[in-house]
Amino acid sequence: MLRHCTIEELLELRDGEGSTAARSHLSSCEACRAELDRLHQRVAALKSLPSFTAPRDRWPVVIGAVVASRRRKRIARVGWTSLAAAAAIVLLIGVRSIPGSGPDVLAAQEVESLVEESQELEVLLQEHYREGRVVNVATAAAIADLEDRIALIDLGIERAQATTVTQDDMADLWRERVALMDQLVTTHVRPVTYVGY
Amino acid sequence: MTEITLAAVDELAIRRAKKGDIEALERVYRAYVSTVYSLARRMCRTAEEAEEVLQETFLEVCKSMHKFRGTAPGMLTAWIKRVAASKALIRIRHEKYRDVEELDEDGGWAGTQDGDVGLRMDLETALSQLSDTSRAVVWLHDVEGYTHEEIAELMGKTVSFSKSQLSRAHARLRTALGEEARC
Repeated sequence: MLRHCTIEELLELRDGEGSTAARSHLSSCEACRAELDRLHQRVAALKSLPSFTAPRDRWPVVIGAVVASRRRKRIARVGWTSLAAAAAIVLLIGVRSIPGSGPDVLAAQEVESLVEESQELEVLLQEHYREGRVVNVATAAAIADLEDRIALIDLGIERAQATTVTQDDMADLWRERVALMDQLVTTHVRPVTYVGY
Repeated sequence: MTEITLAAVDELAIRRAKKGDIEALERVYRAYVSTVYSLARRMCRTAEEAEEVLQETFLEVCKSMHKFRGTAPGMLTAWIKRVAASKALIRIRHEKYRDVEELDEDGGWAGTQDGDVGLRMDLETALSQLSDTSRAVVWLHDVEGYTHEEIAELMGKTVSFSKSQLSRAHARLRTALGEEARC
């Protein structure tokens, strides 16, 4: 190769590639070897540049968005869970409204009442929830924890609906859901109350 | 607030973060915030853009952590960096209208300062004068160690595109740093 190596060729040679002709030229050309050396030095200098420190803590914003996303998913899921529960209760009360099935009907009525209570809390939560509202990290973590626990209960309710659990067991699940929802509403409302603007 | 180092994110913390544990996710954030911000700052033109990339990266990390395969911190580093690079490149693609070289062909600027600090300042300035795409490619390839194939995949371009951007970046850097081209 009569001409000097181009930058493309030097980069290829540096990366262990490159044509035989370019390699052969490099071994006999001092100028190209010097250029390759400068290339190595430039890259070494790039690697030694200092790192940066983020000017602001973005974690509260990130976790706030994560919690909001989890909440949207839960709301979408809970709509179907409540509907399915209500339908199952209506069916059960209708079928079992015959002499001798008293306790089961009572438990089913309790479930119906708990589903209603849970739905009312969902509405209350929606009234107090504002998308993008900044909460402190501890509150965000508490909300995320409650959302996770409610999601687990919802999963349990879904599974229970698909099997033959007793209405008493179903009432236990809904009772737990209502208690967690209550805590969630309180957690959402509390910071607003404290700020008091 | 306690400073959490990379070493603090062990396999247990990674497993917990994959399950969505908020405390573990915060450990991941604290451990990688500097790495992600530095990468974003090197690839983006402004500090504000880098902050946006930082936020988008960790939002994605928190949402997709359960999809991350593996529990080794080294693998997590590579995965988080890849998410950050991808987010930065998306931003660069959206801001294409600004993607112009600020140097003229003759190299209107050359380094003048002495010593290591001077060289560093010269290099910082030279880097900032590259186009967004060229700067991203030179950083990903020469500093982060990505292959041209990986860069091409991240950018949705060809390998030739990545190679030509790297050559272009080095030609510009050489001129900006006042290095004589003997070849």
